Amino acid sequence: MAEIDNYHAVLLQLLLVIGLAATMLGLSVLVGRAGRRNAIKDSAYECGMLPIGDSQPRFSVKFYLVAMLFVLFDIEVVFMYPWAVVFRDLVAQNAMVFWGMLSFVGILTVAYVYALKKGALRWDN
Amino acid sequence: MPAYFLEIAIVLLGLGLLMVDAFATTLDRRLLGHLGIAGVAAVLAGLVFGVDSSASEPLWGFYATDTAALFYKGLALVCTLLVLVLALEYAPVLESYRDGRPGRRGLGEFLCLPLFLCAGLMWMASMTDLLGLFVALETVTITFYVVVAYMRRNLGSLEAGVKYLILGALSTGFLLYGLAWLFGLTGQTNLAAIQTVLVDWKGDTTPLLFTMALLMVGLSFKVGAAPFQFWIPDVYQGAPTPITAFLSVGSKAAGFIVLIRLLEPLLASPIRHAVLLMLGVLAGATLIVGNLAAISQSNFKRLLAYSSIAHAGFLLMALAAGQPAGGVSPNGVVALYLGTYLVMTMLAFAVLVIVRKAGGSDELTAFNGLSQRSPFLAFALVLAMASLAGVPLTAGFFGKFFSLVLIAGAGQWALLTVAVVAAACGFYYYFKVIRCMYWNDPVSEAPPLVFSQLTRVAIILLCVAVVVLGVYPKPLTCLLAP
Amino acid sequence: MTALLPATILFLPLLAAAKILLLPKPMKGLAPAVSVGSVVLTLILSLVLWAKTGSDSTTVTLGSWINLGDMLQLNIGFKINALATGMMLVVTFIGTLVHLFSLAYMKDDDGKARYFAGLSLFMFSMTGIVLADNLAMMFIFWELVGVSSYLLIGHWFEKNSAAEAAKKAFLTNRIGDFGFMIGILMLWKATGSVTFDGIESAVRGMTVDPGWLTAAILCIFCGAVGKSAQLPLHVWLPDAMEGPTPVSALIHAATMVAAGVYMMIRVSFLLALPDAATAAHVIAWTGGLTALFAALCATQQNDIKKILAYSTLSQLGYMVMAVGLLAKEAAFFHLFTHAFFKALLFLGSGAIIYACHHEQDIWKMGGLARKLPRTTLTFLIGTAALIAVPFVTSGWYSKETILHAAHAHGGLLFYIGAGTAFLTAFYMTRLCVVAFLGTPRAHGADHAHEVPKIMLLPLVILAVPSVIGGFSFFAGRFLTLPPADHDHASHVPMIASLIALASGVSLGWLLYRGRDRDPVRISLLARKFFIDELYASLVSWGQDAVARIIHYVDILIIDGLGVRGLSGLAAVVGGGLRRLQGGNLQAYGFLFGCGVVVLLFIALSLH
Repeated sequence: MAEIDNYHAVLLQLLLVIGLAATMLGLSVLVGRAGRRNAIKDSAYECGMLPIGDSQPRFSVKFYLVAMLFVLFDIEVVFMYPWAVVFRDLVAQNAMVFWGMLSFVGILTVAYVYALKKGALRWDN
Repeated sequence: MPAYFLEIAIVLLGLGLLMVDAFATTLDRRLLGHLGIAGVAAVLAGLVFGVDSSASEPLWGFYATDTAALFYKGLALVCTLLVLVLALEYAPVLESYRDGRPGRRGLGEFLCLPLFLCAGLMWMASMTDLLGLFVALETVTITFYVVVAYMRRNLGSLEAGVKYLILGALSTGFLLYGLAWLFGLTGQTNLAAIQTVLVDWKGDTTPLLFTMALLMVGLSFKVGAAPFQFWIPDVYQGAPTPITAFLSVGSKAAGFIVLIRLLEPLLASPIRHAVLLMLGVLAGATLIVGNLAAISQSNFKRLLAYSSIAHAGFLLMALAAGQPAGGVSPNGVVALYLGTYLVMTMLAFAVLVIVRKAGGSDELTAFNGLSQRSPFLAFALVLAMASLAGVPLTAGFFGKFFSLVLIAGAGQWALLTVAVVAAACGFYYYFKVIRCMYWNDPVSEAPPLVFSQLTRVAIILLCVAVVVLGVYPKPLTCLLAP
Repeated sequence: MTALLPATILFLPLLAAAKILLLPKPMKGLAPAVSVGSVVLTLILSLVLWAKTGSDSTTVTLGSWINLGDMLQLNIGFKINALATGMMLVVTFIGTLVHLFSLAYMKDDDGKARYFAGLSLFMFSMTGIVLADNLAMMFIFWELVGVSSYLLIGHWFEKNSAAEAAKKAFLTNRIGDFGFMIGILMLWKATGSVTFDGIESAVRGMTVDPGWLTAAILCIFCGAVGKSAQLPLHVWLPDAMEGPTPVSALIHAATMVAAGVYMMIRVSFLLALPDAATAAHVIAWTGGLTALFAALCATQQNDIKKILAYSTLSQLGYMVMAVGLLAKEAAFFHLFTHAFFKALLFLGSGAIIYACHHEQDIWKMGGLARKLPRTTLTFLIGTAALIAVPFVTSGWYSKETILHAAHAHGGLLFYIGAGTAFLTAFYMTRLCVVAFLGTPRAHGADHAHEVPKIMLLPLVILAVPSVIGGFSFFAGRFLTLPPADHDHASHVPMIASLIALASGVSLGWLLYRGRDRDPVRISLLARKFFIDELYASLVSWGQDAVARIIHYVDILIIDGLGVRGLSGLAAVVGGGLRRLQGGNLQAYGFLFGCGVVVLLFIALSLH
């Protein structure tokens, strides 16, 4: 029984939240009914910019390409942090940890060279 | 040489070819394919002749070099080799769905990516650690996302790519969740260590069962088992045909080796019976769905997709038996089945690639009168179909036969009945293809079927393999010993 | 002995066949050389094998073939004894001569490479049958022989009748082979082994249920009935004469059709079991009836090759009868001599046909003795051996041993054998008188001239063993002769066959000397007892019935239950299987979720 008692506060919180939401919705209906509706009043932005044109403007695919490359290289650099932390301990046992990172960076380099040669970073084309 | 040199060699080969592709702008891209084939063949020779399976201890128990691992590595290499041959044959179709100047339509990358797939598959075969396993799996899956959607101007290919990406990510989520539970329950990432914890599991089995269900969801998706097979027909149909072949064989084989490795600790735990029952349910559902749905297909690629589901059912059934019978073990039967499945499926896809290239269609009607247009291809496809159906004296017979032996040995008669009915259904839809080739007349203006000498050699070798393995299965039966 | 020598003999022809197939187009001219080279080499190696084996009996293993633990272990093995080496010599010797003969006969044929590849494939498969040490391996080669026979009968496949004959031979053999396979499985079930040695030691050591044993033997015998063209599966052999004549000589007279008899001799230890008496009886009667039936049919045929085909059937009937009478030595002896003189007769007929510009009707020949003296002489030697001219021909000795066995057994079979001997003498006399004597009755025979030397050479070579093949100093080297029991031997068989010979020859002479058309017309015999027509109507009736049943199966089960039933079921669940697989990613995601729920539910309910 004692365990259930701990949950009273949660129940109270739940009631409070539901009550608050219901009250706000109810009030808005009651109060809002006072004025008359028209098209302008119902539109999303009563003030500010007019909603004209496509809501999802198209960006050049180059943005995505660059963004993707950035994310990829960025994430890969993240891997070096844990490596750097344990490097000193592990390299005392075995040089494998050194070669492992070297090959990782090597693959990154190849990828970088490849991206350059394929013109992925060239903006004016 | 230690076995992990092979994966390193494949990755270096892939990177090297990518560099060639990037720098040698005027080169005929087909050369990359030929270089890749030569390189993979060299690595295969290295696997067969040069591997010292005892020399891999610096990898901290991440990496196994047992017979199964080496066999699945070989499977991945052979599969990649054949896919590269098919990709060269398929190049004109591929390029017609890409834009850019002729010769600069991404064929180079298309020929390099299978190598990275291959490396991933080979790692999967050896990984005995949850982390390594997952990384290898994702290497394969992400590369597949790319190549499935490779034909950018083909809506089918794009659609297949999107479907595979979204559903694949969903299933990967479940698998990863399951792996996390496994780690949470045992505090270990090494499968051997997990097994020692699970063998002595004294607590409630509910979390174990939950973990098992999550793993099954993820892996059922990978091997194409019902009820997670929905993606297979659409993705197989849309993807470039060589990639479909790769998915059908390589991806499935990799799914099964992971399944076998992950199930090993669970089968040693107190929930063994639940695991087997779950496998049995999946196998039964897969057999029924795969075979019955295949009957009404009129597209050859979709037919092969459902056939691949049906074969996954037989493979799961072998695992569901759980115990050796008649001198063969479940894991051995799965290995043998996948080995023969590779040969016959690749043969079927090879013929499909050629017919597709000439006729522009994957429908069964494109095969009408193939016996008159090219008796050689028709004969090869007859062999492939007979083998897929499991006709005795073809390679496909032994896999089906041994899975039935296993399930009969385990006394699971309900599943045995389903399997026998399913195998009988198989005859119906595989022979439908043969009927098209030999009984129907070709369309009058059917274009000639042209293919390279390399492809011809590959097809001849596959035909020989289908017959030889059907008559003399000794090279594979050595895998079977319990 | 190692397995190297028999393995070389086995695989050499296969290599030759493969090599011919892989030859590039412009080099296809080399095909005959490759094929002939391989067969000559196998002949030499067979002689070596024969010399090394002597009277030993060994089983050598090349390697493991199928190893399923305790369930089944099969080796690629060779059981080599006097029987096998003797048969090998027959096969390779006649094979060599037929290859030589074909060089000339098929000289202008477009499909020469295909033809020689087929011959080499046949030599490979036949060798496999002869040397195999287990029934499973034998069965595979048995089927391969069927395939090569199919290819060779249908060599001139543009001709509709040849294609039909090839199909008929293949399908008829399938019926017999199905029985053979069932028989092998039954023996495996009973004894746990499929090797000859294993089965033999197993049946010696334990008792098999007599009913099971009889059924197993008869099922195996079905295979022999198909391949050796015994009643009621004999229909394919006369039609198989559509193939090139050298093929008829090699495959459909001397070797392949004898494979059934050879196989029965291999498993004759089963027949010797006391429980197998019924089975042996059935076999003996099948052989006897086939001998008589075929001889009757042969008396009214006009095609020279058809006559010889029926005579082959009849002689095979003798051999099968001998097997059933437990006289396996007599059966093999006759197989041995028959191979020579029948190959001689067929090659002789090939030479005649070639000389007469592809005319096969004996009533359009005549007077050939003057045009082709040497061919005629060799053909007559073959005929003499076939009708068993006493003391100077091989056929006499071997047929005598069979008649002795039949006489010792007692009963009606002996009279059937003697009657067949009479008919044999009659129809061969008819053939020779009509074809060789008198005047040419058609243009082809009128312009016939002696065949080239390379065709004549095999005839002359074959004439030698046709004469001396039965003498014990010759035959005794190659095979185990039946034990001669001079003291108690009855003279009845000898007298009977002398009478049969004399009356048959004189009747033939009297009836056919100087005739230009057949004075006797018995349409029952000419139409071969209407068995082909009977089968045709049976098959078409049965086919219609089966087709109707399958049609209903298709509609009711495949369509009804399978396709419509399933989609109907799925319609109830959620809009049909096709709608499930509608290609909608959202739906797939939803179904994926459903699958997860189901799996979790199953897993957790297993708690």
